[in-house]
Amino acid sequence: MKLKALFSIFRMKTAEGFQYRLAGIAGATTSIFWVLVEITVYRVFYTYANNNTAGILAGLTLNQLISYSWLTQLVFLMQPMSIDSDIQSKIESGNIALELCRPLDLYTHWFAKLTASRLTPLFWRGSLVILVGMLMPASYRLGPPASLINLILMLLSFFSALFLCTTYGVLMCVVRMGITWGNGPTYMLMLIGGVLSGAYLPLQLWPDSWQRFLLLQPFAGYLDIPLRLYVGSMSPQTAFAAITLQWVWTLIFILLGKFLLVRRLKTIVVQGG
Amino acid sequence: MAQIVLKNIKKTFKVAERPEGRFGVLKGAFNRKTRLVKALEDVSFSIDEGELIGYIGPNGAGKSTTVKIMSGILTPDSGNCEILGRTPWKERVNHVSCIGVVFGQRSQLWWDVPVKDSFDLLRDIYNISSVHYAKRLNELTQALQIESLLKTPVRQLSLGQRMRCEITAALLHSPRILFLDEPTIGLDAVSKLALREFLKDENRSKGVTMILTTHDMDDIAALCSKVMVIGHGKLLYNGSLNVLREQYAPLRCIRATLDKETLQSPIEGAEMVKIEGNEWSIFFDPHKTATHLMVERLAKKLVLKDIVIEEQSIDEMVATMYQEMSL
Repeated sequence: MKLKALFSIFRMKTAEGFQYRLAGIAGATTSIFWVLVEITVYRVFYTYANNNTAGILAGLTLNQLISYSWLTQLVFLMQPMSIDSDIQSKIESGNIALELCRPLDLYTHWFAKLTASRLTPLFWRGSLVILVGMLMPASYRLGPPASLINLILMLLSFFSALFLCTTYGVLMCVVRMGITWGNGPTYMLMLIGGVLSGAYLPLQLWPDSWQRFLLLQPFAGYLDIPLRLYVGSMSPQTAFAAITLQWVWTLIFILLGKFLLVRRLKTIVVQGG
Repeated sequence: MAQIVLKNIKKTFKVAERPEGRFGVLKGAFNRKTRLVKALEDVSFSIDEGELIGYIGPNGAGKSTTVKIMSGILTPDSGNCEILGRTPWKERVNHVSCIGVVFGQRSQLWWDVPVKDSFDLLRDIYNISSVHYAKRLNELTQALQIESLLKTPVRQLSLGQRMRCEITAALLHSPRILFLDEPTIGLDAVSKLALREFLKDENRSKGVTMILTTHDMDDIAALCSKVMVIGHGKLLYNGSLNVLREQYAPLRCIRATLDKETLQSPIEGAEMVKIEGNEWSIFFDPHKTATHLMVERLAKKLVLKDIVIEEQSIDEMVATMYQEMSL
């Protein structure tokens, strides 16, 4: 029963997001341009770096890195970059009052909405980027997965990443609800997530001494883990542990979000008539 | 039996105050001052099933706060509230499935999708069986004449159309209690009248308890059997509109148009006479002098062209009342 409502909200929000085809195509253009610049820069580094001392080659080959860059443009779309505009305006205008008048707990409600809005950019923007990536000339092309098993594991991990991103997004909404004066803190918190996910620089290219921390922190599960699985820089044997880690963090975000939400709702003030 | 019982409800809000003056912003950043505003001081009342209550008071009196507490959105500082045997803020989810809310200034419909989709979503959220839903939707769309709007996205509806859809949305799950917060705000005369008629009908045929907050006194006069007046967070009056009227607007007015301008002469029973050209307004107390007697006296004394008898306007009455209660 509750599940039906949840699915219904999800479906509606998806349909809403699906309308924005042109925005998706425009976004895809940006992404494609960005990847091409990125690949060019990486190529320069890989060609001219002192390969003996620059340990970067140990982690990823150039071809893996190119595939990683293309897929980043798909997977990072799931990351919460800002508070969902719908929820944000409800918090700011006090229309959240109406959401509280529904026989659904707010967490579930927001979760369904956010899952949909994390997923919808993938339809137009994401798919277009991937298509273009596969059609590029060989030195810029998105390569095939390391193996079939790697692909399957990557899809599993990708699916887990969706929930990880969503639950962090809900947590951010809850935090936002307690702040009357603006978006600053939540933006910073989300940006930390973005940087630590490897969307700007693949985590394997970060300093060696950080690697253990980078893999264990929650945001590796956003993007780095699924992509490592795709390009084959993570072995299928470790995939199980990595995906479990994604779910552990998801669970922590859910519990934290619910806990804070219950506390906030006790003291919430809906202003205005 | 009382369906809604509020006992000694209190709610205070903290209001931040910034020092005035040129460096106010800076001072305020280090030295936060807050002031406590008592939104509700000890409000108690009870409402029976099927009543249609008008809840009035000047801006900032605490009307919306009360409604928010009753709908489970706000938690009061102290006091008890029982609605259908439940405490709203403690059993929010169960509570809200039995109530409907319409906030005139807020929309519960999805902006970018057709109205019908919003309704379908509500069906799933409230878990309404499809048979019941189809029947209810049909009923409401016909009563509120919105069949032709169902496929239109909300953003393209006019305010009146949207408000009718909002009411439908609030009533789809057949709530037993309906809170209406300024439902007629900004509506034209036709929509307003249609809406009132519908609400009255819904109240009569379904026995839905309704609590209406509004500044439109005609709404109250047309709909409500009882009114509650709130000011400065206190309940100042709770009873029938007629009693209130007798207390604050006891006079009735005869507006007479004379054949030609006439010098003023005293009329027996008149409390006050205002003259503008050949338009006379004669105020009298219908409890002291029967209306037909007044008319007779006037007809004898003056050459009348036309005559209209009015109650004192309810807006004026409320203004007098607020003044006397020093609100």
